[in-house]
This record gives sequence, C-alpha cells and structure tokens, in this order.
Amino acid sequence: MKIRALAFQTLEGFLHNRLVVLVLILASCIVLLMLLPLWGMKAASAKGMPSMEAAVLEMVSGVMSFVSGLGSILAAWGAADALYGELKAGTVLAVMARPVKRWEFLTGKYLGVMMFMAAYIVLMMAMSYTVVAVAGMRIHASPWELFFYPLVRYSIYAAIGMLFTTLVHPVVTMGMMLALTILTELASPRSFAWKPGVAWLKTGLFYILPSTELLTEDRFLSLRQAALKQSSWVEHAVSLTYGLDCALILLLLAMWSFHYRTLRRD
Amino acid sequence: MTPAIEFREVTKVYRRALRGVEVPALTNASFSVMPGEVCAFLGPNGAGKTTSISLLMGFFYADYGEIRVLGYEPGDVRGKKEIGFLPENFAFYKHLNAERLLKLHAKLAGLPSESVRQRCGELLAKVKLNGYESLKIGRYSRGMVQRLGMAQALLASPQLLVLDEPTSGLDPSGRKDVRELLVGLREQGKTVFLSSHLLSEVEQICDRVIIISRGRVVKTGRMQELLVAGDRVEIIANGISPEIEAMIRENSGTVTASETGVVINVGLAEKRAVAEALWAAGWDVIQILPQRNSLEELYMSTVGTEGGVA
Repeated sequence: MKIRALAFQTLEGFLHNRLVVLVLILASCIVLLMLLPLWGMKAASAKGMPSMEAAVLEMVSGVMSFVSGLGSILAAWGAADALYGELKAGTVLAVMARPVKRWEFLTGKYLGVMMFMAAYIVLMMAMSYTVVAVAGMRIHASPWELFFYPLVRYSIYAAIGMLFTTLVHPVVTMGMMLALTILTELASPRSFAWKPGVAWLKTGLFYILPSTELLTEDRFLSLRQAALKQSSWVEHAVSLTYGLDCALILLLLAMWSFHYRTLRRD
Repeated sequence: MTPAIEFREVTKVYRRALRGVEVPALTNASFSVMPGEVCAFLGPNGAGKTTSISLLMGFFYADYGEIRVLGYEPGDVRGKKEIGFLPENFAFYKHLNAERLLKLHAKLAGLPSESVRQRCGELLAKVKLNGYESLKIGRYSRGMVQRLGMAQALLASPQLLVLDEPTSGLDPSGRKDVRELLVGLREQGKTVFLSSHLLSEVEQICDRVIIISRGRVVKTGRMQELLVAGDRVEIIANGISPEIEAMIRENSGTVTASETGVVINVGLAEKRAVAEALWAAGWDVIQILPQRNSLEELYMSTVGTEGGVA
C-alpha cells in the first residue's frame, strides 16, 4: 500500500516534470525528422522492394537505437531525479516522518521510475511499429521481447542511478554513469584486446560491471521471418534473469547506502 | 511513566570529509519530555535544535548516546505511527492539491481509506483551508503551506507532535490559530515538542522549556519553576513612607508606583522585615509574590546574544 502510493506519486511527479515532457517532445521531433527520408523513399516508388526493406531496417534500427539510448539516460536520470528531487525540495522529511521504512521509500521511488519507463517502452514500440507500417512492412519480433528486454535493461540503469544518487549529486551521478558505460564497453569481449599483462583485469571487469549487452532488443529486430533470430525460452530466461539479478543487487546496494544516509534538505 | 522523548548523553558531530573538519552539533545532550507536556525547545540559530529534531525523527544518526521516542528507537515505524511532524519550511509535492496530499499521507500512515475523506475535510476546516481543497499547492502562499503542514501533522491523530517553527510564515491571525490549536492539543493530553523563536507565544502555551546553546542543553525544567526568580519577591502595598523606601533602596530593592499602589522588589531575605515595616507604618500589604521573569528574560540571561555552531 505504502510502496504503491509512493510509486504512483513518483510516476505522477514525472508526468508533471516539465523537463521530462520537454525531452520527450524533443525526442519525438527528432524521430519524426528521421522519418522524413523514409516517406520520401516510399513516395519514389520506383525503388525495388529489397532495397526499400534494407532502408527501412536501417531506419528502424537507427530510430530504435536513438530512442533506446535515450531511454537508458532517462532511466538513470529519472531515478536520480526522483530521489534527489525529494531531498532537494525537502519533501522526503514529511514522507519519512510517516511509518515508512527507508527501503520502502526507495522501492516506491524505484517502481515509480520503472512504471514511467514501461510507458516509455510502449511509446517506443508504438513508434517502431508505426515506422515499419509507414513503409508497408511489419516487425516479426515478438512484442514481449521488444518490451521486456529494454525494461530489464532500464531497470539496471535506474538502479545504478539510484545507487549513485544516495552518495553524490545527480550531475556527478550522470558523470559516473557515463564513465561506467565507457568502462563496460571497454571490458566487453567484443572491444579491442587489452595488453596481455592486464587481460585478467578486462575479464574481471566484464564479470563485475553491469553489462547490458545481452539485453539489447536490437538482436530481435527483423522485418523478415526467415532472418529473425530464434531464441529458446532458456536463453530468454538466462538473459532476463541476469539483468534482473544485476538490477536487484544494485537496488539492494542503494537501499543499504540510503539506510545510512542523513536525510535533510540538500 | 515512560517519557515521550528521552535524550541521554547524545552527541552528534558533522564531519566534512573533504575539508577534514568536524563540527560538533550536539554534545552530551540529555533531556526528557513526559507524556501530555507541551515542551518548548529553544535556542539561537545553529544551536542544534533542528539537529536534535532530526535525530529524534530518525533522519540523522547520533554518534553517541541514546534516544527514545515513545519508548522506541528513532525511525522505528511503531513509534512513527504515533508521531505527527511538521518540519521547518515545510515542502510539499507542488502538483498535488491539499486533499490529494492529505490522502497520500493517509495512505503512508496506513489509515483506513473509508475514514480518510471525512478526516481530510475536518482537518482542512480546522486549519482554515476549506475552499482551497482543489487549488494546487504550488499556488499556495507560505502561510497556507504552513497551515497545510499543520493539517498533515495532525492527520493520524498522533500522540506526539514534533513541530519545528510551526508559526513560521504565518500572519498574526494564523499564529493565534496555531496557538489555540496547541492549547486544544494540550487539553486532549497530547505531547507537543515545539521549536520556536516566538518566546511570548511559547510562554503562553508551554509547560516545559529546554534551552540549548552551542549544542549543549543549558537549561531545562518546568516553565513555572524556571520563570520564578528564586531569590527575589514583589510586594504590592497601598502606599509607602519615605523612610521605608530609603531603607529598601539601601538594600538593593526597587520601588515603583502602580495603579494599585506601589510595587516593591526586594530580596527574599528582606521580605519579612519590609512587610512588617509597612504594616507597622499603617500601610496594607496587598500581595507578596515570587518575582516572575518573562521567558525572554530567562532566555536572554541563559544564552545572551551568543549564537551556536553553524
């Protein structure tokens, strides 16, 4: 009951946050601009279907990468803002004076962020399906794959954002997020090889850092049934469990850190 | 009887790690507030009042010492169920209106939903915000926000009210309303822990005073006992002869005229001699009272003009 009330309050806070609304409007405008060449291409119907399909796939992939990347930033920033906003305004004092435990407060905030991100993914999916429909094609990937994979990925980013914000200012949090993302990319097996002396460090970092490589929805994106990458339920379960496990550990760390944090108006 | 609030040798030090500075905010602070008391918590800015309130609400952790609130550790949800809290410069979710904010707090307090609507209406009427239920809090004046803060503090009918500057931002009429509200709470047997700089108001409504300065409790006790200056009395007589007046002045006493006669201020040791001299000279002694200071005088004599730590 308390966690649900806090989650809905957080979601409502996002919907009344002018900066969030502005970012979403700007993102929509950018996506529409990206669609212009597609409409132009469709109008010039002299083009053959295969080249059209490749262009659409490239377009959809581009749009989704942009929207998906923005979602990661939005999840981290949203989580940081949800927590820091309470501390900055001092509203946390009135809430925490109620019989609410600190972990309940943080869980409520986190779930509010995830509800917002779920709505964002639905919009993202609607946008992707619309782009493809404009080109007269359809996406063959299962909708749940396009929903749950980014959701789990965002849950990791939101948990990292929340963890860092229990310790530092949100601006520093975003800087740390950037550094962490770059480090994760560098530690990824597909990145360049590190010097032999520090190869162990790369392996170690790869296992420790929260990699979201497994959780990208791009790998399911296909406009042809034949080209669709088939994944077993076990593969899905392993990937999603890894992501949820990672998010849970980070959230527990955030709760632990928040438990010992001084609550005051920052 | 278990005290509603108990601080035992509590110390809190703020550490600024990057600068390597340690600022003691509270040093071996000990005091207690009994159930049903209205207690004023006074001190200059930076004396440690808000730190103490934050410690008892469980927002900060003490470095040393023990704190009990309604018999529980600070921050324990069993204790918090019985606490109503109004922070200094109260802040709310600006996109909500008063009714929705109270409903949110009612959910967080675990109040049964069927009684919430009626309770919200009663409270908004009590703090004179009825008619503004649907106005967003972002459009409220400072005084209205403070009134709403009082309403949310009273929402769960708490046994203990912790109020940090409850009259801040209120006009004289609003301050009077809060004063009446606090008197009403005292009559209901609620415990109120009140931090304020408005000493005249505090004097009217509080039973107990705790004065803190530079992080240390410098005076604590019942209001009536503290305001009595133990070594002096006031004798009110219907007149005085010049000889007696000279004798009083020789003994560091004062004589002032009043509507009812004269007010003679003498030391406790001279009380009997002066009264007998007046009677012997044919004057009537109307009243003999222990001299009573105002809270402001007590406060100034205790902390003077000094400030506390930052």
